[in-house]
Amino acid sequence: MSKLYTFLKYFFITFWTVFVVAPFLWAVSTSFKDFQSVNSKVTYIPWLDFEPTLEGWRVLIKSPAKGGVDIVEPYFNSIFVTCTASLISIVLGTLAAYALSRFTFKAGFVRNNDITFFFISQRIMPPIVLSIPFFIFLSTIGLLDSLLGLVVVYIVLLMPIAVWIMVDFFNRVPKELDETALIDGCNPYQAFYKVVLPNSIPGLIVAGMFCIIFGWIDFFFAFILTFTEVQLLPVKVVALNSSITPWWSLSASALVSVAPLIIVAFIVERYLSKGNLSGALK
Amino acid sequence: MEEQMAKIDLSNISHTYNPLDPKPTYALNPFSMTWENGKRYAILGPSGCGKTTMLNIVSGLVRPSKGEILFDETPVTDLKTEDRNIAQVFQFPVIYNTMTVYDNLAFPLRCREFTKEKIEERVKVVSDTLNLSSFLNSPARKLTADQKQLISLGRGLVREDVAAVLMDEPLTVIDPDLKFRLRRNLKEINEQYKTTLVYVTHDQNEAMTFAENIIVMDQGEIVQVGLPKDLFEKPKTTFVGYFIGSPAMNIFHSTVSSDHEVKINDTTIKTNSNLGNLKDKNVKLGIRSEFIELAEKEKSNTVKIKLTRVEDFGNFKLLTGKMGDLVIKSKVEREKPIPDGELNLYFPPEKCCVYSDEKLV
Repeated sequence: MSKLYTFLKYFFITFWTVFVVAPFLWAVSTSFKDFQSVNSKVTYIPWLDFEPTLEGWRVLIKSPAKGGVDIVEPYFNSIFVTCTASLISIVLGTLAAYALSRFTFKAGFVRNNDITFFFISQRIMPPIVLSIPFFIFLSTIGLLDSLLGLVVVYIVLLMPIAVWIMVDFFNRVPKELDETALIDGCNPYQAFYKVVLPNSIPGLIVAGMFCIIFGWIDFFFAFILTFTEVQLLPVKVVALNSSITPWWSLSASALVSVAPLIIVAFIVERYLSKGNLSGALK
Repeated sequence: MEEQMAKIDLSNISHTYNPLDPKPTYALNPFSMTWENGKRYAILGPSGCGKTTMLNIVSGLVRPSKGEILFDETPVTDLKTEDRNIAQVFQFPVIYNTMTVYDNLAFPLRCREFTKEKIEERVKVVSDTLNLSSFLNSPARKLTADQKQLISLGRGLVREDVAAVLMDEPLTVIDPDLKFRLRRNLKEINEQYKTTLVYVTHDQNEAMTFAENIIVMDQGEIVQVGLPKDLFEKPKTTFVGYFIGSPAMNIFHSTVSSDHEVKINDTTIKTNSNLGNLKDKNVKLGIRSEFIELAEKEKSNTVKIKLTRVEDFGNFKLLTGKMGDLVIKSKVEREKPIPDGELNLYFPPEKCCVYSDEKLV
């Protein structure tokens, strides 16, 4: 019985691994192919099935004047917008979440939970609903088609995630911890950054991870709110497609787009496996 | 050593958690009390009787709805927790997970900007007292629950200038053996450093063995403040009689028959209380099972009971008997032979307490 169980376990793990990894391997292999190797017949193994070429990768850094697509600038734009917006969202979101977790707010019928829900409701709305207001807002303040404008919009999109995760996290940190810090002689600000914040690093990491992922993969707003001056990576990658689909450079650009998220996943995984994400306090 | 410990006065304090309610329910009814410098106090009472609220008011975590708190005659009611110089230990260990044991113990001193040498000296003293010396460099989160609670306790004791150390059932998570030793340690610390210790508990044995003064609370009310002996021999209310002592005090419905006598069923019992103005009123008679004696034959102040149960506790025997529908419990020496069936119990008049409206006459 237990043998069968072990067999099934490994079988499913193997199956799942193949399921997840295969598309990546396929993309890696495709990125080294040329027109001939993609379109003539199905090929798998470099040097055996087809002659590998770096053309798909070279195109990505060549300037459009020389027939390339140059995703370097959009790449750094994306890094800048995602990181700035995530950082600001985490800072503001953490402060908001701490207040929502520790203090009781009353304004008419509005209570703490209503405020938290208001934050989350920004994510419940379909993005298309927000697109026109955002467009008008950014054009009014003159930030359409600019990095700063995108940062502003992404903060609106990412902060609810940070608030949501951190409220839940702070609620699980006993308030006795803050009280002890006060008794030990901290003022409320010191109690927050000397005691509560260091204890909340796991929560901050999870919130940061979600902000980075959602910021990095957004296509919709990057597409609507930018034209020629500024381009973000997802838009640029989609723009690669033309009448003849360049599978090789599409694969290469897909791989470099995913790379940062894989790095983030590895960093977060270390914290996850340490087991100090939940139950950080008992 | 700095002498900053203080006399703590609670003057007309009361507290409600729903002050906006037109009919607020009070967690603490108005009371006044003084905690003398350097003494040990225990606050004893069932869960939800306002013990923790009282501590939180003293430490400043809760602002009382009414009344004033004074440390050495100086009002501190409006002072924030961090400015009050109070140490408080909670029921469950609260430690700074990201710090080592040493940093945990040093934290209160660092917040108050003590010198490095002073911090080292104090941490050493406290960690020696609490057997934490060998863990000083380990991360605090790796310790067991009772060691973590020792850290919480240590953070309270590390400052020698505190006005008082407040402890809210601090030994709940600690195993009985260590509990006993720690209570003695706390007593020694109190005697050595003259730190005022206030200890909240619902365990009467803990309170009796630890404190010089016991404050008994019930439903937001302070029922009695006194020495363990007073609480045992002369409980001021029937609640204290029930709550203190094991088994609880025997309490019987009775009627006043003369200036010093009450009647239970048809038996007249003489007491030392003056009952002149309670004639023919319904009162309650209370007597500890420890004070009831076996009598050879019927005489004055004896009651006849039908023995229903004898329990041997090793060091004493507990007799349970019935007089009509009243149940009487009596503790007797183990060696005493117990006659079967009916027997006479003697109520010493000086040990009988009479309660009118649940209060001692």
